[in-house]
Amino acid sequence: MTPIRLTVNGQVREGAVEARLTLADFLRDQLGLTGTHLGCEHGVCGACTVLLDGEPARSCLVLAVQAQGAEVTTVEGLSEGDGLSPLQQAMRDNFSFQCGFCTPGFLIQAHALLRENPKPTEQEVRLALSGNLCRCTGYQSIVAGVLAAAEAL
Amino acid sequence: MITQRPPAERFTGSSVKRTEDPRLLTGRGRYVADIRLPGMLHAAFCRSPHAHARLLRLDTAAARQAPGVVAIFDGWEMARLTSATGGMAEMMGSERLPKYSLLCTDKVRLVGDPVALVVAESRAQAEDAVELIEAEYEELPAVMSEDQARDASLPAIFEDLGSNILFGPDQKVFGDVEGAFAAADRVVRARISQHRHQNVPMEGRAILAAFDRASGELVAHAATQGVNTTRQIVAAQLQMPLDKVRVLAQDIGGSFGLKFGASREEVACCAASRELARPVRWIEDRMENLTVSGQAREESFIVEAAVTTAGEILGMRVEMVIDSGAYPGFAPGIISTVREMIPGPYRMRALSFSATGIITNKATYVAYRGPWASETFVRERLIDLVAAELGLDPVEVRLRNLAERDQPPLRMVTGPSLAGITAKESLRRMTELFDFPRFREQQATARAAGRYLGVGVATYVEPAPGPRPETPPTELEWVRASLGEDGTVSVFTAQMPHGQSHQTTLAQIAADQFGVDFDQVRVVVGDTDQVPEGFGTGGSRFAAMAGGAALHATRRLRTQVLELAAQLLDLSPSSLDIRDGAVVGEGVPGGGLPLPELVRRANEAAAAGLIPPGTDTGLEASFGFDGGQGGWSGGTHCCVVEVDHMSGKVELLRYLVVEDCGELINPAVVEGQIRGGVAQGIGAVLLERSAYDEWGQYLSSTFMDYLLPTTTDVPNIEIHHLETVPLDQDVNFRGVGEGGMIVAPPTICNAVADAIAPTGGRVLEQHLPPQRILELMGAIPERG
Repeated sequence: MTPIRLTVNGQVREGAVEARLTLADFLRDQLGLTGTHLGCEHGVCGACTVLLDGEPARSCLVLAVQAQGAEVTTVEGLSEGDGLSPLQQAMRDNFSFQCGFCTPGFLIQAHALLRENPKPTEQEVRLALSGNLCRCTGYQSIVAGVLAAAEAL
Repeated sequence: MITQRPPAERFTGSSVKRTEDPRLLTGRGRYVADIRLPGMLHAAFCRSPHAHARLLRLDTAAARQAPGVVAIFDGWEMARLTSATGGMAEMMGSERLPKYSLLCTDKVRLVGDPVALVVAESRAQAEDAVELIEAEYEELPAVMSEDQARDASLPAIFEDLGSNILFGPDQKVFGDVEGAFAAADRVVRARISQHRHQNVPMEGRAILAAFDRASGELVAHAATQGVNTTRQIVAAQLQMPLDKVRVLAQDIGGSFGLKFGASREEVACCAASRELARPVRWIEDRMENLTVSGQAREESFIVEAAVTTAGEILGMRVEMVIDSGAYPGFAPGIISTVREMIPGPYRMRALSFSATGIITNKATYVAYRGPWASETFVRERLIDLVAAELGLDPVEVRLRNLAERDQPPLRMVTGPSLAGITAKESLRRMTELFDFPRFREQQATARAAGRYLGVGVATYVEPAPGPRPETPPTELEWVRASLGEDGTVSVFTAQMPHGQSHQTTLAQIAADQFGVDFDQVRVVVGDTDQVPEGFGTGGSRFAAMAGGAALHATRRLRTQVLELAAQLLDLSPSSLDIRDGAVVGEGVPGGGLPLPELVRRANEAAAAGLIPPGTDTGLEASFGFDGGQGGWSGGTHCCVVEVDHMSGKVELLRYLVVEDCGELINPAVVEGQIRGGVAQGIGAVLLERSAYDEWGQYLSSTFMDYLLPTTTDVPNIEIHHLETVPLDQDVNFRGVGEGGMIVAPPTICNAVADAIAPTGGRVLEQHLPPQRILELMGAIPERG
């Protein structure tokens, strides 16, 4: 077991982990942050995307020990209290999601996009989200939600 | 007497924001993998690496000594704990059922077949122990094709069945088929096939089973489309009384037909929990999901159409073969629907249809969104082949053959009434929205410049719920509604949403019918102790069946509440109404009696014996709805593509939908269902295939191999709603979940076929990845 210490959603968190434990499993099983979902566990679907030192990363492909000292933001850290962030609100207004399983990864990815490029074009949104899989929506509502959030921000 | 709220005040028909979203958008959803129980153990399965083999020996000794391992169940031990009968296939009414066990004992029948269940303190420990299990197999020839299934020299996958033919051929004839073909100017023949692909919900299968030795009750937290169906199967296979099994479901990460009842693995986890008296959780990983959860759609058809030179389709002969995969599944159950639906909204007066089911060493055939969709694919592809052969425009051939509402007999040759059908309007509307003549000019110009543009249309209907059955038994969908002491209305349904927003849409209907605000309605799902009977969400039956049941149940509750209020206030019920959460009407003191106050006073009056006998004070009403007059969903899709003759890549330039799904409950939810279905159709045609090699090894077990459409593959989809023809006095909602996935594949294939027509390529299959397109265009040799 290796002790680790990292900042998750602004709070310092500590744990003792096996070297093989992924960051996703650490967040979900040890910290109880089950908003981060596992859709493939091989780095393709993007459901487990978190911000790792500010950059989107697949938490199923990152070992918890690699996150030693890092700053991690999960979907739970995108809004305060019970409210919705402007991005989340725009996603709700646009019926962006259906089953909700891919949702945390899309939110994190879109959050990162809007921080870098506050007024993206539709094509830029589509490219930025092209590494995240959604099986329910056909993506149009997700893209519309991100564009609406950009408009609102 | 019912006073309808004026349309402006109604929730039904407007895009009310989803109740589900605040939790799902903040990471507070609760899927099975998010639930932890004290003492919870984790399951992992040891699976066959062979497609077809005898299991000679299974040595679990080393695995049992591995750290964290609590128990290992092999096939024989699991057979001792469970019943082989009572599974999903029997519930589907399959006639020819082989004998098999939950976990394999003497034989494995596909790659991934489970041979042992390991239960350990952590998932990683369970998976480590699986690696320590030693199994010895004697390989048998794999049966991977129709020819091999018919080859009597190959071993029967199920020895007790004696062959690899599951059923058929069984032939049914409707109308004068011989006469139709005798009268035909021409017969158009083709062999048209659909490839194997699959549901792929973002969340795989999952169960958390918790047996309580004190109460003798097993509680299963399931990812399921219907808690009652899951309970029936778990109880039957564990040989427990139904009332000792409780199934709970919360958020579910999609399903699309996959998560019905309980799979062999899920039942095995329930058995393990009962045996160990500890909670056991199994979260299917993606490789398991892609390899063994189930696959769909592998069907082939030899079709003949009897046509006139003017393009009238007089009749069809169809021979269908369905690849059922290894274990009994959904295949036998869909044949009757494919057969009944294949005439679709067209007038053809004769049909001969036969079907054969084969068994192969592949994953079991499961329901996938519009499971009978091959009827639309085959018919709509065939119509384009007819048009091409006759030199007619495909739209014209459709218009010539589509049923008209004022022309009897308004009925499919297979029986169902086509009352209220708007298929022809949908195609006409499409010709207004899309300028076909102009496109043909653009296409000609592009062709002259060496570019391949194409347009495709397809028209369909979907029984959602379909016409009211002319003879009983009719199936009922139940909804129970109750008024709580806080004035909120609870609506209980056996429907189990997994993305369809049922908790929003049922509340819209209930709020309108009862007379409270949308926020005052709570929709209760996912608990066999609470929800009424009913198999769950599927078959696009929610809108009409559950929506209708909710409408009538909340109306009935309203009547009951008004009668009670009338007793308490000494007024006539007909003078009262419920508005914004209060009973109002002439003579009501204070301008209105708030519902919480009404409930309190009713309880007091009942306790004091002041309510006359016969007055219903239960504040609860149930309604079992048969779908009313029913009716069809359906419409026309149109797609424009460009095919790159160098790369074989298909670009979707435009995608239009004209649809009729009855009265819309929530337009944004409806459009989400349509777009999601179309996206799956795009995936099916251009990307997705569940591929095996000739030895039965599965080749598509990761997302690098099984390709799902992404944001750059799915275009914006333009949706136009057609005004529906109301058939029922009260309920004209129709289901819309499956249509997109039913009609998108032929729409896209027709567009691709149109694009590559100048090369002589003939599209007779559904899967058109770049390599296949280049083969069809003659750019590269066929790989065979």
